[in-house]
Amino acid sequence: MLYLNLFLQGLAQGSIYALIAVGLTLVYGLLRILHVAHAGLFALGAYISVTVTNATGSFPLAVLAAVAITGLAGMAIYRLLYEPILDRPPFVALIASIGLFIAMEEAFRLAFGPYGLSYAVPPNMETITFGGLFLSRAQILLMVVAALLLGGLGLLTERTRTGVAWRATVTDPPMAQSFGIDIVRVRYLSFFIGSALAAVAGVMISLINNLVEPTMGSVPSYKALAIIVLGGLGSVKGTLVAALALGVIEAFGTIYLGNLLDRDAIAFAFLILVLMLRPHGLFGAR
Amino acid sequence: MAYEITLLTIIGINLILALSLNLITGFCGQISLGHAAFYGTGAYCAAILTKAGLPFPPALLAGGVVAGLLGLIVGLTSLRVREDFLAITTMGVGFLFLGFVRKQSWLGGELGVSGIPAPGLSDLGYMVLAIGIAAAVALFSLYVRRSWMGFAFDAVADDEDTARVIGIGVAGYKLTAFALGTALAGIAGGLYAHYARIIVPDTFGFTLSVTILAMVVVGGIGSTWGVIVATVLLSLMPELFRFVNDYKLLLFGGLLLLTMRFSPGGLAGLTRETWHRLRRNQGRNREQVDDGTAARS
Amino acid sequence: MTAPLLALEDLRVRFGGVAAVDGASLTLEHGTFTGLIGPNGAGKTTLLRLIIGIVRADNGRIRLDGRDITKLAVSRRARLGLAMSHQIVRPFRSLSVLDNVALAAGRRRTRDPLLSLLHVKRSTERARARELLDLVGIGDAADAEPAKLPLGYLKRLEMARALALEPRLLLLDEPLAGLNHSEAHRLADTIAGIHQTGTTVLLIEHNLAEVMRVCRRLVVLDQGRVIAEGEPRAVMADPKVRAAYLGEAPHAAA
Repeated sequence: MLYLNLFLQGLAQGSIYALIAVGLTLVYGLLRILHVAHAGLFALGAYISVTVTNATGSFPLAVLAAVAITGLAGMAIYRLLYEPILDRPPFVALIASIGLFIAMEEAFRLAFGPYGLSYAVPPNMETITFGGLFLSRAQILLMVVAALLLGGLGLLTERTRTGVAWRATVTDPPMAQSFGIDIVRVRYLSFFIGSALAAVAGVMISLINNLVEPTMGSVPSYKALAIIVLGGLGSVKGTLVAALALGVIEAFGTIYLGNLLDRDAIAFAFLILVLMLRPHGLFGAR
Repeated sequence: MAYEITLLTIIGINLILALSLNLITGFCGQISLGHAAFYGTGAYCAAILTKAGLPFPPALLAGGVVAGLLGLIVGLTSLRVREDFLAITTMGVGFLFLGFVRKQSWLGGELGVSGIPAPGLSDLGYMVLAIGIAAAVALFSLYVRRSWMGFAFDAVADDEDTARVIGIGVAGYKLTAFALGTALAGIAGGLYAHYARIIVPDTFGFTLSVTILAMVVVGGIGSTWGVIVATVLLSLMPELFRFVNDYKLLLFGGLLLLTMRFSPGGLAGLTRETWHRLRRNQGRNREQVDDGTAARS
Repeated sequence: MTAPLLALEDLRVRFGGVAAVDGASLTLEHGTFTGLIGPNGAGKTTLLRLIIGIVRADNGRIRLDGRDITKLAVSRRARLGLAMSHQIVRPFRSLSVLDNVALAAGRRRTRDPLLSLLHVKRSTERARARELLDLVGIGDAADAEPAKLPLGYLKRLEMARALALEPRLLLLDEPLAGLNHSEAHRLADTIAGIHQTGTTVLLIEHNLAEVMRVCRRLVVLDQGRVIAEGEPRAVMADPKVRAAYLGEAPHAAA
């Protein structure tokens, strides 16, 4: 039972990673940029959710606002920051992105205070127990939402023309362009959807912890980078598997390796181990 | 006076640290987002050795050696993975270092190491030592740049495949850069540990890695003088403008962002461009003639 | 009896499912000048990249002077006397044209990373580089940035850089492409001159007129295999070669 429970806890954490990492993968596939500031958008989504809920009393409205504003913010980052430096060496965009992320964290701290915010009316987070398993309502909601959104996204890219064109572009932008796909539009779309998914992850975390903090994006941001590397950089499917796998590995790792390494270090130890054995990631082709 | 001495000591340590990263990232073109781990390794190593009774100088050197060995291992990963992966791998090394140190009771865990013995120098003497080592590292950097090692580094940073074709053992050069750069970072760490006399894991986190990178990047990747100027400016900034302190990180992130967005060559690149523009204005006519011949032939 | 300078034995390499080189065997004697021709996609460039070591063979052996170099790293092969001028030019964009060549000329100084730190003076290598740039006819661009030069210059820069390694075997991948008629003629003469000084040359070239003029021996590659080799005129008269080139006439005429 302990194992099954650890596994479920791991999956819940993995779902958060997955929602964040998909956007990173899309950006990497399209632009070959490691979009560190993406985790800033995750935090932005969470902040909007809490502040709008507290101001209006309507959680659905807050979610809508979080998704829309964060999505637009993602598009703005592409337009204002990345687009002008696309032809520079890759580290230029990476460092710019790190800079933006640090500035965003600081902006949250200055605007909302260093101690974080909570919902005025705490969301219902009671833990459900059945047959020795326990998960909070928010965790269950998170897994359902993640499965629906990512599953829906998967269907969209498998079944619709736009989706297929999109996938083709993420896999091989120059090829897609030669087929007449408007890759600039695909980029905007990807930044919007990727950022919106990060916002959803932020909202979910805000429910689970009933707390949003300026630095809440730090750990997910770096870990999501590790995940997209494990997933083979640019492969959405690989990213999802890697995200869930990492969630589970961390859950077990903290039990068995907890006195040697902390949770974040376990993730990166796993990453480095995998990279040494398979330099192109778990699911990466050459 | 004590305040100025403190400030200069810190600047000296930061200079060693930034120039050591410049060797790896600037000269050899290998991005590292985990440089703080080697600084930390040197700090912990030297601190533990002097606490065990070893005199300060050999402990400082040992910290450098251990950090360099660790750097050599991390350098091996740079042979396996391509650029983007390397950025994340080195970042991972940083987190791994932190996660490991935090959990080791013999390294003091979260509380770190305190009661580090005094190095046996006056504050002024220690400042002279730090600045002296920094100056030596700066001279060494300038020399490397001019030597055939720097020449080969240029090739490795520019295009590894082509470097191999002209007989340059790329792996050897990358490992050399990592070993040298991380060993120097380790020495900076030992200096810091015996200046602060107490070290905690959080000092050596990702923020520090990014700070060091910022000194290199804002100064101009690969430019020794640029890195020196940027390091001094960035070290002084929070001190000179006290009101900035609350906005320090915001400013810092913004500076990284703006440098990359508008002048990826950093201060050095900006200076070079301005210089060229001035010269072009002076000798515009002659330049035009030169361009003409080049285009025709 | 001495071993041939280069011996390729049953080389095979596949990219994805496609066999690029499919059982190629070839011998180059010391001091020879061989033209390597064949239709597009015959595997000529891949064969050169196998010899230089950028591409690893799935099967077969490569011997240099009888020594098995199949598993040797690219940089080691370069130091053993292999040099290649690439079809697609790749100058070091951060170095001047002169330094591109000087760096190659200093291969003894860069052989060992630690020893390289002991040398500063570049004048000997730069002087040598200047000679080579003059030899290939681009001495006027010595101080230029490669990024600002036209393709014809960069092709010759590639060649000067390969020559700077003082190779025993010089591999040239379409060095004449992108040059005008008289430039091509002059560079072909230069290559022939390099051969005169004792360097063994293996040349891929679509400019058949120049190939026939300067090469002593032709090797024809088709679908990853050697289908004919020997004295140029005899080879061109071979029906197998004509069949392979059918439909490739525009290149043959070029």
